[in-house]
Amino acid sequence: MTNLEQTVVEQDLRNLEELVEASGNLPPEAPSLSPPEWIRKNLFSSPFNSLLTVIFGLFALWAFRAMLAFTFSPIRVWRAPATNARLMLAGVYPESQFVRIWVLLALTMGLAGLSMGIVRAGSPLSLKRISIWVMTTGTFLVACVLLTPTSWNLVNEDGSPIPNESFGTVMSRRIWPWLVLALIVLGIGLAMWFGLGEIRRRSTFVPSVGVIFGALIAAVGSLWVVPYGHYALADGVYISEPGRTVAMSTKVPFTVCLLIMLAMFVVGRALAGRVSYVPSRFALGLVWTLLPLIGIFVILRDPAFDYGYVMSVDVPLFLAFAVMGSAILWFLTGPSLGEVGRIIATGFLLLAVFNWVAAFFGWYPMLQKVRFSFLLFALVALVAHNFAGDRATRVRFITGWLGALSILHYFATVINTPRTIDLVQEQFMMGLVLTLMVAALSTLASFPLGMILALGRTSEMPIFRQLSTLYIEFVRGVPLLAILFFVANILPLFLPDGMNVAEVAVVVAGFAFFSAAYLAENVRGGLQSIRRGQFEAADALGLTTGMRTSFIILPQALRASIPQLVGQAIAGFKETSLILIIGSLDFLLIARSTIPNQTEFFGNKKEGLLVVSAVYFLGAFAMSKYSQKMERRLGVGER
Amino acid sequence: MSISDATTAVNEDLASRPDMIISDGVDKWYGDFQALKSVTATIKEREVVVVLGPSGSGKSTWIRCINRLEVHQGGRIVVDDVELTNDTRNIEKIRSEVGMVFQQFNLFPHLTVMDNITLAPKWVRKIPRPEAEATAMQLLERVGIPEQASKYPGQLSGGQQQRVAIARSLAMEPKIMLFDEPTSALDPEMISEVLDVMKDLARGGMTMMVVTHEMGFAREVADRIIFMESGEIVEVGTPEHFFTNPTEDRTKLFLSQIL
Repeated sequence: MTNLEQTVVEQDLRNLEELVEASGNLPPEAPSLSPPEWIRKNLFSSPFNSLLTVIFGLFALWAFRAMLAFTFSPIRVWRAPATNARLMLAGVYPESQFVRIWVLLALTMGLAGLSMGIVRAGSPLSLKRISIWVMTTGTFLVACVLLTPTSWNLVNEDGSPIPNESFGTVMSRRIWPWLVLALIVLGIGLAMWFGLGEIRRRSTFVPSVGVIFGALIAAVGSLWVVPYGHYALADGVYISEPGRTVAMSTKVPFTVCLLIMLAMFVVGRALAGRVSYVPSRFALGLVWTLLPLIGIFVILRDPAFDYGYVMSVDVPLFLAFAVMGSAILWFLTGPSLGEVGRIIATGFLLLAVFNWVAAFFGWYPMLQKVRFSFLLFALVALVAHNFAGDRATRVRFITGWLGALSILHYFATVINTPRTIDLVQEQFMMGLVLTLMVAALSTLASFPLGMILALGRTSEMPIFRQLSTLYIEFVRGVPLLAILFFVANILPLFLPDGMNVAEVAVVVAGFAFFSAAYLAENVRGGLQSIRRGQFEAADALGLTTGMRTSFIILPQALRASIPQLVGQAIAGFKETSLILIIGSLDFLLIARSTIPNQTEFFGNKKEGLLVVSAVYFLGAFAMSKYSQKMERRLGVGER
Repeated sequence: MSISDATTAVNEDLASRPDMIISDGVDKWYGDFQALKSVTATIKEREVVVVLGPSGSGKSTWIRCINRLEVHQGGRIVVDDVELTNDTRNIEKIRSEVGMVFQQFNLFPHLTVMDNITLAPKWVRKIPRPEAEATAMQLLERVGIPEQASKYPGQLSGGQQQRVAIARSLAMEPKIMLFDEPTSALDPEMISEVLDVMKDLARGGMTMMVVTHEMGFAREVADRIIFMESGEIVEVGTPEHFFTNPTEDRTKLFLSQIL
């Protein structure tokens, strides 16, 4: 801690001590209401409210019972999605290569654990809150058990009705274990509530990280105890294998992934105090951004590197760009360069653009990678004058340039190489893996693009404004399916010769272009909500337009438009099901058409769709909940 | 020394100081409405000039023209020998020497007080962080609120926010400070704490141009008072001359309404 931070912490501690001393004068907290009081106050406070409670309560009960009737009806074939679980999650990924999916999961969970550790995730949960959760879950389970219908009005094949069992028979035969479980849960909740007493409930805290990890350990632990149904093989033909359960093949990988996550969490916590804030967050963000790319192109796809070519062409190319680029950038960040530097940088940008035009018309051959590297170099050179100054700044800037160049070259080399995994069809990613990867990549790509468009549309320079407006209005006027169709089938015809684009990249680009237009309008709304005084104060302090935008305007604009941004991310997550347009077998399509076409489960659509809906809901709900947490942390509406 | 000798001495001293702000026949229109009519004045180094006038008289417009928050259409403005034109280099140079304090404080709400003050020095003057933070703490002590360094502007009172705004402008080491009605949005109890800071600044030798309604401050601290009405300068004089013996009728009318 610097001296300054130490001073501030000491002052805060002194303030806290004063507060604690003076706590005799603080007003008492309102005590919790007992359940009957709560019900009377919140549900039946006035005649009109009582009427509303009764009407909506009956409706809710009826809807709930209908859902239970659907879920627990004997004619449901829950085996359909259950035995096809692997198909829905990973598609027809070869069994022998399945370890790659486990590696990807382990990487993701490890990174999540590390992030949770470094950012010291998890606010403390009071026992009061936990007891309310437990009570609610217990009540819900009891309601489920008691409300499930027992008379189904089913008919035999010859039309004679199957007699319904009485409630008592059903209870005593099948349901009573569940009822006992539900009552136990409810009992625990009630015991926590009444047994602990007001003060202990309110002031005893459990770290929420502990709760999360506890739940995960319980879930993975249950794999070792409960068999969880039967599998169907994934190579070609689907058959049900009674002797082989889900738990048998997944318990070890899941346990390993969980252990990695816990270990990385511990590592993260150890690092949390030692690393400084900005570099650690930047590094984490960078790794998370690269994870989907590495997941797809390196892990799932396993590029077949031709090492001879790599050594003779790719590596020298990278070294050439690295050395020459660094030398030119060192010159451009010289402290006494001034305007000449900007002119040179603009010259490079024009050269880079000319390369692309030349490639389009085929005037001279140039490797795709070289064109990209040149463009990256030109863009970096444009901002070089911002980093002019002392030696340390220049070295850091050039290190950043080398890092970006390495990442670009690595992925450019990896993406278009053929793959080593032997698959019958072109698509190697299917199912939930495909949905998640496409959603992650398209969101990652669309957010920066959307922000640039928003800044362009509100810019004072007419060219940027017109181009951005044109783009936004055009994309918003065209349906997503049309854009995907165009991008998948027609765009490759427009690309320069020799440029092969991976199928997945094309689709992700389509989603990103679409999302970016909507995001731009959302961000523009946020931009317009900022008072003029902020711009004026920034100008009066001497901040350049770029500094003003990145330090003052964009943070406030993005903070104001968090609900719209998250809404767009959630929509993007669900829109990925439209990749069926290029023939990809994604999560929803499998439930909708693949499972009902299997001979065993012919025509069984509803069960699979319900599972898919539940998964989409969980994902969207998690994103929504996290956005609320983010808003609280950023002080939306408070500061 | 007689009073006239003293006045002459002051005037000679004033005349020998360099011109900091030269406003020469400045005109500004908002559409068809002329907000500034040939405003001509010169402000010397270390001078404290208070601009008084009824609302709508163009005081804020004139002061905002000086650091190019508004664009003047006629006349010349020269700040420390740099003419204010459309050339961005001139504008940047002038803005680096002129600090401004606004009526609405305009602190950056998403940054702490410390970040508010150190943002511009770190990124515009490229001062390293420890040094910038040390300067910021000194400035916070100078304005009297060092303990608020890690708070957010929304957690401070109005007077504290305005003092942070003054510290933020001072962090860029300006030669001239412009104040656009700095206490108009404050409760009476907090006005004095801000005025104390401004008096301290004036005593320290800062060139200040203050648009305000605080007559007590004007009487006590100002070297010169400029009275504006309807976009033109009506009267210029020392505080003694202005408050006890104004020459123009419009000035007398204004004073009768507010005193």
